[in-house]
Amino acid sequence: MAARTVWAAGRCSEQAGAVNRAVRRLPGLTQVRWSRYGPEFRDPLTDKGHCRKPAAELTEEEKYDQDLGKTQLIKAAPAAQTCSAFADPVISKSTNMMMKGGSKVLARSLMAQTLEAVERKQFEKYHAASAEEQATIERNPYTIFHQALKNCEPVIGLVPILKGGHFYQVPVPLSDRRRRFLAMKWMIKDCRENKPRRTLMPEKLSYELLEAFANKGPVIKRKHDMHKMAEANRALAHYRWW
Amino acid sequence: TSKTMLKGVRKLIPRVHKLDPGCLLRMSTQAPRSIQLPVQRPRAICRTPESDPAKHGDMHEGQHYSIPLQDLKTIFPHGLPPRFAMQVKTFGEACLMVRKPALELLQYLKNTNFTHPAVRYLLYGEKGTGKTLSLCHVIHFCAKHNWLTLHVPDAHLWVKNCRELLRSTYNKQRLDQPLEASTWLRRFKTTNEHFLSQIKVEEKYIWNKRESTEKGSPLGEVVEQGLMRVRNATDAVGIVLKELKRQSCLGRLQLLVAVDGVNALWGRTTLQREDKSPVAPEELALVHNLRKMVDNDWHGGAIVLTLSQTGSLFKPQTAYLPHELLGKEGFDALDPFVPILVSNYNPKEFESSFQYYLENNWLQHEKAPTEEGKKELLFLSNSNPGQLERLCAYL
Repeated sequence: MAARTVWAAGRCSEQAGAVNRAVRRLPGLTQVRWSRYGPEFRDPLTDKGHCRKPAAELTEEEKYDQDLGKTQLIKAAPAAQTCSAFADPVISKSTNMMMKGGSKVLARSLMAQTLEAVERKQFEKYHAASAEEQATIERNPYTIFHQALKNCEPVIGLVPILKGGHFYQVPVPLSDRRRRFLAMKWMIKDCRENKPRRTLMPEKLSYELLEAFANKGPVIKRKHDMHKMAEANRALAHYRWW
Repeated sequence: TSKTMLKGVRKLIPRVHKLDPGCLLRMSTQAPRSIQLPVQRPRAICRTPESDPAKHGDMHEGQHYSIPLQDLKTIFPHGLPPRFAMQVKTFGEACLMVRKPALELLQYLKNTNFTHPAVRYLLYGEKGTGKTLSLCHVIHFCAKHNWLTLHVPDAHLWVKNCRELLRSTYNKQRLDQPLEASTWLRRFKTTNEHFLSQIKVEEKYIWNKRESTEKGSPLGEVVEQGLMRVRNATDAVGIVLKELKRQSCLGRLQLLVAVDGVNALWGRTTLQREDKSPVAPEELALVHNLRKMVDNDWHGGAIVLTLSQTGSLFKPQTAYLPHELLGKEGFDALDPFVPILVSNYNPKEFESSFQYYLENNWLQHEKAPTEEGKKELLFLSNSNPGQLERLCAYL
């Protein structure tokens, strides 16, 4: 993943080398985000299977790659990157969003307690249910987490656009990243604000996740409210120029 | 023919390494009938149907046996560690693993000489290795064999976070803890209901101007008095301990004293008097009486103790050895004792634990049942039982 530089004008450049040369030539442009690594640095590998392949199975390209890797410089791996079998990008993202003040240890333990709480609640329901219902009850906390967040993603969003001195809420299509971000943000915000005093985050978050999995609850309601507002403001859709 | 048999057995041994270590349980007990090994890998056994702790032996090592839930309520009204209690509630069954330290202790207890002074056994080990659950295994055995179990689930609860400290009526220098004493008495009554009517008190005890317990009345009356009048609960506990010691010396019953976190009795407390002066543990009547109980000046039973750093006060996190946690005073008071080390899981036990969680569908992550997942769990937990349980909880 090469480091992307974002220009003040909004264009993206292909390679960091070309970017540096362009900066030196054109005095009007400045680099907004930059990396300490030069273009000769490679990204670190996390794929364990890649390193363990015996020499006979490597293709020509892979052999060349490996030989090149012995002499080339490699960037330091970020702290959150793992080769763990249990690493989940969605869970990592939610943990980072729940983190306050940089205490990743606390955020991770809260996430672990949430998943445990979800699993225990589902097990209780499973043991109390009859044989036909047991087939429908989902006990995997990871599937519940992913499905709940998918159910909370809005399809269309609202963006404030300035026209004639007033801001109008204009319905706008959202990218996948924005939708996932909004789902997680609403979930975490709801758990922080609307809870009775002295309830812990894992307890509240597990409850909200199970409700969202069943398509009920305040976060789903917020998504529907967003859709209704977008529907109501559909006359303003032509204010969008992109 | 014996030479060919030996050759056959030797051919068998290198191949056995490729199977699960749990399979060795079955393979070693059967005679090698044929050289042909089964095509599929046989499933490792992690459970045993033997639910009587007296019959547990080396062949059951690494396997889980289940305690009926009805027995749990009478034998362990308070004694299970919180995470294990959650697991019992989730799975609907209480399964303990049979491990070497517990088997060793059971062997010693089966061979106790009731005429010799009570031997003290001390379970020690690093955090999360299974000291409390080994103690629970031993208590289950003693309860099944009609011993009177005196179980203090966590001595640390008596030296910290006490809401009410009263000046003792019996001895002006000491302090009473009515709440802790009454909860303990209630649970003692649940466990040993059938003994309370049989044991008769040997002395007359006067509680106040109007109430007294006559000599020869059953011990149940003392317990009732302690539960009714909460002010006298600590003195009732002291009387119960004294009477039980006397009765076991007379040979009328077999007594097991089981204390978890015994290092609390000789450490420091976080309690303060009204004038904010600190309270030493010997000034607490409950601790004073328990220290006398843990002394080996009586016979007719055994004393099983556990060290615990988890609830301890003013002790570093890495301390787990007896002299580190007990201090000089405690070590001298408990000397001589039989130390029993409880360590992390060996590969067979780890495999058994892993299979147990798989059977109960506790490991829900897709990668968890794979070889890769198992290796990662082994690495992350370092075969520590407590850590493994916490990791498997969210996977």
